[in-house]
Amino acid sequence: MPKRLLLGPQRPIRNLGEAIEHSGFPTGQMAVISAGWQEAEGDIDDVRELVQRPLVDLQLYSRAESMFSTDSSLRQAYRERQDQLKELQSLYQMRLRQLTLAARQTLRAKGSKEMIAAELRHAVSQLRSLDRHHLNRVQTINNEFDERYTFQQYEPLAEQHAAIAKQLDDCESVIITGGNVVILLNRLRMFGTHLQVQNKHLIAWSAGCMALSDRVVLFHDRLPQGRRDPELLGPGTCLLPNYIFLPDARHRLHTTDKIRTGLFSHRFAPAECVTLDSGAQLLFDDGELQRSELARRMTVDGNLERIHPG
Amino acid sequence: MNKALAHLLKLSPPATADIDAFIERSVFPLVDGEKITFVYRGSADAVFLRCWISGLDTAQPLQLLDDTDLWAVTIELPEGSRIEYKLEVERDGHRELILDPLNDILAHDPFGANSVCQGAGYRRPQWSLYDPDARPGRLETRRIASKSFGDTREFQVYLPARFRRNRRYPLLIVHDGIDYLHFADLKIVLDNLIHRLEIPQMIVALVQSPDRLVEYSGDDRHATFIGAELLPSMNELYPLQDDPGARGLMGASFGGVASLHAAWRYPELFGCLFLQSGSFAFSDLGRHKRGPVFDPVVEFVNEFRERPGCPADKIYMSCGIYESLIYENRSLIPRLQQQGIEVRFEEARDAHNWENWRDRQRNGLSWLFPGPVWMVYE
Repeated sequence: MPKRLLLGPQRPIRNLGEAIEHSGFPTGQMAVISAGWQEAEGDIDDVRELVQRPLVDLQLYSRAESMFSTDSSLRQAYRERQDQLKELQSLYQMRLRQLTLAARQTLRAKGSKEMIAAELRHAVSQLRSLDRHHLNRVQTINNEFDERYTFQQYEPLAEQHAAIAKQLDDCESVIITGGNVVILLNRLRMFGTHLQVQNKHLIAWSAGCMALSDRVVLFHDRLPQGRRDPELLGPGTCLLPNYIFLPDARHRLHTTDKIRTGLFSHRFAPAECVTLDSGAQLLFDDGELQRSELARRMTVDGNLERIHPG
Repeated sequence: MNKALAHLLKLSPPATADIDAFIERSVFPLVDGEKITFVYRGSADAVFLRCWISGLDTAQPLQLLDDTDLWAVTIELPEGSRIEYKLEVERDGHRELILDPLNDILAHDPFGANSVCQGAGYRRPQWSLYDPDARPGRLETRRIASKSFGDTREFQVYLPARFRRNRRYPLLIVHDGIDYLHFADLKIVLDNLIHRLEIPQMIVALVQSPDRLVEYSGDDRHATFIGAELLPSMNELYPLQDDPGARGLMGASFGGVASLHAAWRYPELFGCLFLQSGSFAFSDLGRHKRGPVFDPVVEFVNEFRERPGCPADKIYMSCGIYESLIYENRSLIPRLQQQGIEVRFEEARDAHNWENWRDRQRNGLSWLFPGPVWMVYE
């Protein structure tokens, strides 16, 4: 597996350029996927300044917008799929709320440690079962869409796929920015770009990191209305599986709440739940962690601990 | 008595220069924990604190402090409170309401301005202040010929900064919308909350009535205007999401009544209501005591309490605990919840005024129309 360089948010600490420089990436042009920025896609002057090399943005967001404006059947099918996913997500949320509450209360329960531990194991297994079910349901809906509109079969998507492939021919490395992780994942899948970049070196931050894993978890403890339980959005691209990446955790999560942090870790095990705050970086080479700075792993007892290579 | 004021009075009698220096270095009203001291300086026969809040006497006399031209009164106000007030100065048998000359903080409303007392711990929310990083949306003026009212109505439409014709947007219709812009900084709030991704990019129609005490009092003509004229017109003019959950009505005071009434008359059209200090007066028995202007309101609210139906799926209500309407607002909550409506109710240590309504906008809007912040990881 080629290199994977994962970074925290590029504000306030912009370590993109420095991290690339110290990671031995090939020189030459890099491709950029900034679809998560939606309308601001392609606004990459800041990125160019940091990486000091020629960049080409693959324009996944605007390619899709352009197709939607001319291809009503694709637009309609896409909207229907999104509506289905939205409905499914709200049903999942409803069930999740109850199970999470039960698990959290069990964690706080006082009494026989053995009895509590047994009940907790069951409470967490119910959560994990719901997550698995949800993941399968999302995958089924995605597959139904893909049966009709996949880049392998649907000519307009195949044309875009080919055009992207041509741009990628000149790039050994691809940068995936942060932004809206739902949009980013949708666009990567729509054009099959996640498959096109799997043998490239990848540099990603924030939402870009989340999209690389096999499961994407949404989280935020500081919404205007307060905390919201972490939700499984669905499958990621599997370009770096077995991790749940948590960008900007310092601002988004109450990481000092050991009950919540411990439950987070339990629920998504054996995947490692890894925080990526601004300034953090993780370098994987051939699937092995080579370097870790400021990234933290959630432990089952609710602590955050440094990650060491090897 | 406030410590600084007591210290001044120990210099018996304090010299004019001492009083000048005290005035110069102090911030008025004097806030000392939960004790607030209002001070007036000048010759008068009597001075009163007028603050029109429920729970306090409407006019509280200030006492002339010995051997000075200073008047003062201390009241208790819980932390986080915010009240608006004027001073009433009596000279030669004439009384005059004035802004507090020692306090620069003012709140404006359609009737003018009031002085503002910010109790201990009150902070104006950061998201209600102009943020140069937030891209500003724009306002368009539109007109609509209303058969219901038999005239032409002008209204404004807020379009978000990144408005695109090929996208679909939620719609919020705001009663007293122009007042919300002027006195509750609604445009700044929308720009900021959209910038922070706490609400989605949305289109907001800002309507203003020429006769709100009649049209907003449970008037069927107004409900028709909103549900059968304005909404279809907005659908023609702008790319709107075709989903009741993406349509909302908002209003304060009588505007809250108008919002609830329109949604009640047109059930299933509006999924979200944001009702601030709604004037939901009702009578369980006998006549109400709020004056004839409330007659149609009471008639509607009584009928609503009898047959509420399901005017919306989600309702965010807010009310100041220093306004008499808190009782009516609290009373409405269980009735709405019995209908299966998801209701959130926020009580604030404030009264019936625009800055109270401004300070509650983030909670209400972001709950009714949650933004993409949940999905964005920059």
